[in-house]
Amino acid sequence: MSSQVNGYEGCRVVDMRSDTFTLPSQGMKEAMMAAPLGDDVFQEDPTVIELQNKMATLLEKEAALFVPTGTMGNLICVLNHCRSRGSEVILGNLSHVHIYEQGGISQLGGVHPRTLQNLPDGTFSLEELRKAVRKDDVHMPITELVCIENTHNVAGGRVLPLEWLDQLGSTCRELGLPLHMDGARLMNAAAAMQVPPARIVRDCASVSVCLSKGLGAPVGSVIVGSQEFITKARRLRKVLGGGMRQAGIIAAAGIYALDHVAPTLQRDHAHIKAIAQAVSDLGSKAIFVNLEGVHTNILMLECDLNVLSPTQLCERMGQITDEETERHR
Amino acid sequence: MANQLKKLQKKKNESTSEEKLSYRKQRFRQEWTEKKEFRGWLSTVEDDPHRAFCIACKSKLVAGSSELLKHSKRESHKRALILLNKQPIVSNCQRGVSSQKNLSDQKAKCHITVGKTGMRSREGPQPMNVFESEPDQHGCHSSLLDDNHQNEEEETFQPHQSADIKNERSLLPMKKMKVEKDMPIIITAKPGLFIEDDYPEDSHNMQVQGLNITISEVQSVSSELILSVDEPTVKGPSYDEEEIDTKCLSGDKKRYAQKFRQYWYKIPEFQGWLAEGDSPYKAHCTVCNRDIRASISQLQRHCKGARHINFMAKHQPWTSIIISEDITTEAGLPPTVTFVDLRSDTVTRPSRAMKNAMLEAAVGDDAFSEDPTVNALEKKVANMLGKEAALFVPSGTMANLVCVLAHCWGRGSEVIVGDKSYMYQKMQGGIAQVGGVHHRIVKNLPDGTFSLDELKTFFQDGDTFFPTTTLVCIENTHNRMGGKALPLSWLDELGAVCEELNLLLHVDGARLINASVALGVPPSRLVARCHSVTLCLNKGLGAPMGSLVVGTQEFITRAGKMGKMLGGVLHQCGMVAAAGIYALDHVVSQLSADHNHARAIAHSVLEEHSSSVTVDMNAFQTNIGFLHCDNIRVDAKKLCQRLRVVTDSEEEEIGEKIIVMMLPITDTVVRFMTHHEIKMNHVRAVAEKLKYVIQEFDNIMFDQYKV
Repeated sequence: MSSQVNGYEGCRVVDMRSDTFTLPSQGMKEAMMAAPLGDDVFQEDPTVIELQNKMATLLEKEAALFVPTGTMGNLICVLNHCRSRGSEVILGNLSHVHIYEQGGISQLGGVHPRTLQNLPDGTFSLEELRKAVRKDDVHMPITELVCIENTHNVAGGRVLPLEWLDQLGSTCRELGLPLHMDGARLMNAAAAMQVPPARIVRDCASVSVCLSKGLGAPVGSVIVGSQEFITKARRLRKVLGGGMRQAGIIAAAGIYALDHVAPTLQRDHAHIKAIAQAVSDLGSKAIFVNLEGVHTNILMLECDLNVLSPTQLCERMGQITDEETERHR
Repeated sequence: MANQLKKLQKKKNESTSEEKLSYRKQRFRQEWTEKKEFRGWLSTVEDDPHRAFCIACKSKLVAGSSELLKHSKRESHKRALILLNKQPIVSNCQRGVSSQKNLSDQKAKCHITVGKTGMRSREGPQPMNVFESEPDQHGCHSSLLDDNHQNEEEETFQPHQSADIKNERSLLPMKKMKVEKDMPIIITAKPGLFIEDDYPEDSHNMQVQGLNITISEVQSVSSELILSVDEPTVKGPSYDEEEIDTKCLSGDKKRYAQKFRQYWYKIPEFQGWLAEGDSPYKAHCTVCNRDIRASISQLQRHCKGARHINFMAKHQPWTSIIISEDITTEAGLPPTVTFVDLRSDTVTRPSRAMKNAMLEAAVGDDAFSEDPTVNALEKKVANMLGKEAALFVPSGTMANLVCVLAHCWGRGSEVIVGDKSYMYQKMQGGIAQVGGVHHRIVKNLPDGTFSLDELKTFFQDGDTFFPTTTLVCIENTHNRMGGKALPLSWLDELGAVCEELNLLLHVDGARLINASVALGVPPSRLVARCHSVTLCLNKGLGAPMGSLVVGTQEFITRAGKMGKMLGGVLHQCGMVAAAGIYALDHVVSQLSADHNHARAIAHSVLEEHSSSVTVDMNAFQTNIGFLHCDNIRVDAKKLCQRLRVVTDSEEEEIGEKIIVMMLPITDTVVRFMTHHEIKMNHVRAVAEKLKYVIQEFDNIMFDQYKV
């Protein structure tokens, strides 16, 4: 993505801070303008209903609910699974829900998070999971839910292996625990693995999928699950203030994104691999990449702290020296 | 300007009182058209029997023979009459074409007889209706029967009548054309948009007055010109009446039609009835349900008109229904059904202009505060309310929640809310459920306020038994109390009390702008003593979604953190914010019309004098209205259900299908809300439906007694 940004006139700006920076394309905007609208709090917005049905069908679940953000999607799902007092959720110590959501699940929902060590590929040990599940003991909270993230953001956009997911699914069934997947970039995982997204979420009781990340819609996420789960989730969405009126206008962008952007995600992955390859080819010792870890649209450049820090690298990337301009000419 | 306005107001008042005294209803009489003085220019007005129409001056007159006589002696009239008799006949068709858009016939023919004086319309079908004159017994328009010009050898097309020529300039003299006495010609007319006064005689083509006329066939029918008017091939906006009007206005010299101006809303004379028309060149009178040319003089003339004054005084401000197709078809109903959704003002869909604003909005990632449109909206609202900063969140519920969480930062906090407030009743107790903040309720009075003495009694000496009271929340306008705007004096007193008790004050201003319009004070005045405000864009303002939290910079930083945690920070929400900016710029001026509409609906119920459904007119301040059911003959649910159904007998009596949606809020109270999609024609439909339904409920009881 390149664009003109204020303060950088005459420069070619490539913003790779996040895939949330994407601006809606003209086609997407037109789809938004053409969408039929209604009041979604009365469940009368045809576009929102269409998006929800589309997503539920895509992930082969019973129902879906449009929510404003991925953060709220995860929050609603966790609160919905952990309805009783003294609930606990098991999640990876590097997961987005645990790190980047202000501890909302405990702050608002009073849900206790129990963390497992995330392995470099975004998974965690199933042995540890079995150990972590609480017994019936007055000293302990009650384990209600297991959360995973796919693709795993902090792990560098790694796609969770299907075998592991299947094993986790059977383990959870055995333990009687529902499984929630933070699938903010689920479509990237599906594109990278070349399997339908429904296969990935087969064993999950609930999934949240973001439309505003790699899919490029301006706003919105969708949570999917059973009909009963979604009915309860709708109440939670309202109490959190996520009930939007004519939300069809942004849901239309989501539909457009699923139709037009989702099939092109592999191109994003190819781009990031090309950048990774270029860095790798340099053979630098100050900055290096793990090529095996580049699965989707996220690239982690590792810095040798003796030479430079990540902040320094980002600062330098945001600058242009004369020498540099000369060389590129 | 101010002086002028005062003068206008004064004049208006005077004329109103005069009209009331001397209003006698003389109906138009057909005999008048036969009178010598009136022959040739007098015609009826189709929808008003009390007015006459002068074809020459294109003006409506009071139907009274003395008035008409006076008119006939006017110099301007005489001049216009001379001009009228010189006009080319083809201009007759012009309005016919434009009005033919409404006709199903693709091709309509009007027979024009070449008589002593040129042409005469015979058995003219639909296009002639536009002359606003009724055909007499010969099927001819009375105005066309005039034989002033006794040219036996007709060489020039002499016009007799032109109903819709805006400007004499456009009446260019037509090239003379020989028409043999027994030469029948079929003229095919197609609309063109320019005037050509020189055309070769032999080409049998002429383009006059927006019509392209081809003499296509010569037949020997006794001295009849058959003029067939083709339906324009392009329908809709590319061939608009307005377009023709403006083009016609431009003769040799370019003249531009006046567009509607927003500032007209502020002129006191026009308040309460003025609205924008369907095109930028039209204004609309919501009381008379009439389009008026958008010009200040026309509007002034309209509001001085007896008809308008009469309607204003009678408070029965409607005449006919125009079914708004966009509402009905979007709701998936056949366009023959008038569908009026009054459940809430949140049901409004963005208008095309709003969508255009959204389409053009600059967008960035708001999670990084990089969305220019969101930033502009936040700044605009903060300025409007006289506060330091603002925060855009997706909904009003979240805005209120964020405010409470940001104020009640410490553990063991308590808020004081009204027992009928939205925050207490309709947010699922979210403040307690997710925020862990304790509610303490104070009884709401019917005007939406609460007793300040009661508030003071809540504060005893600090004690470990009590939670820490941190915040007082009020609602303006108060939804559950019927959209009451809180009195300014009370707000000031409350502000002083809160200061004294060291409490923070939050306003749930979901409909704050409505309150500001109702009280006639700027919104910043209403929130002057408040620490935080919630403002909804998707309620009366009509944006699709979004609310704002307003307060000090430090407060907004905290609120932003809370908003992020709740999942309320949207990434590229600039497009939605653009709708908000549009709403603040354009929809605010329409709010007073919404308030009038609510009152008009209530008035129709009042007129029924029913005991089963009643209404308290004094309670109407803004766009929210309550209907009270007696709970014997009808309860709230039953009334709402009945309003959504159309019976056969009802359709027969009213003449159309009307579906009205309202919301039962208790067993006996039905709530309706007007919003910017509701126009006067909808109000009229709702009134008819309500009247019918209420009568039905009243009669049911009566029938039961009889049995």
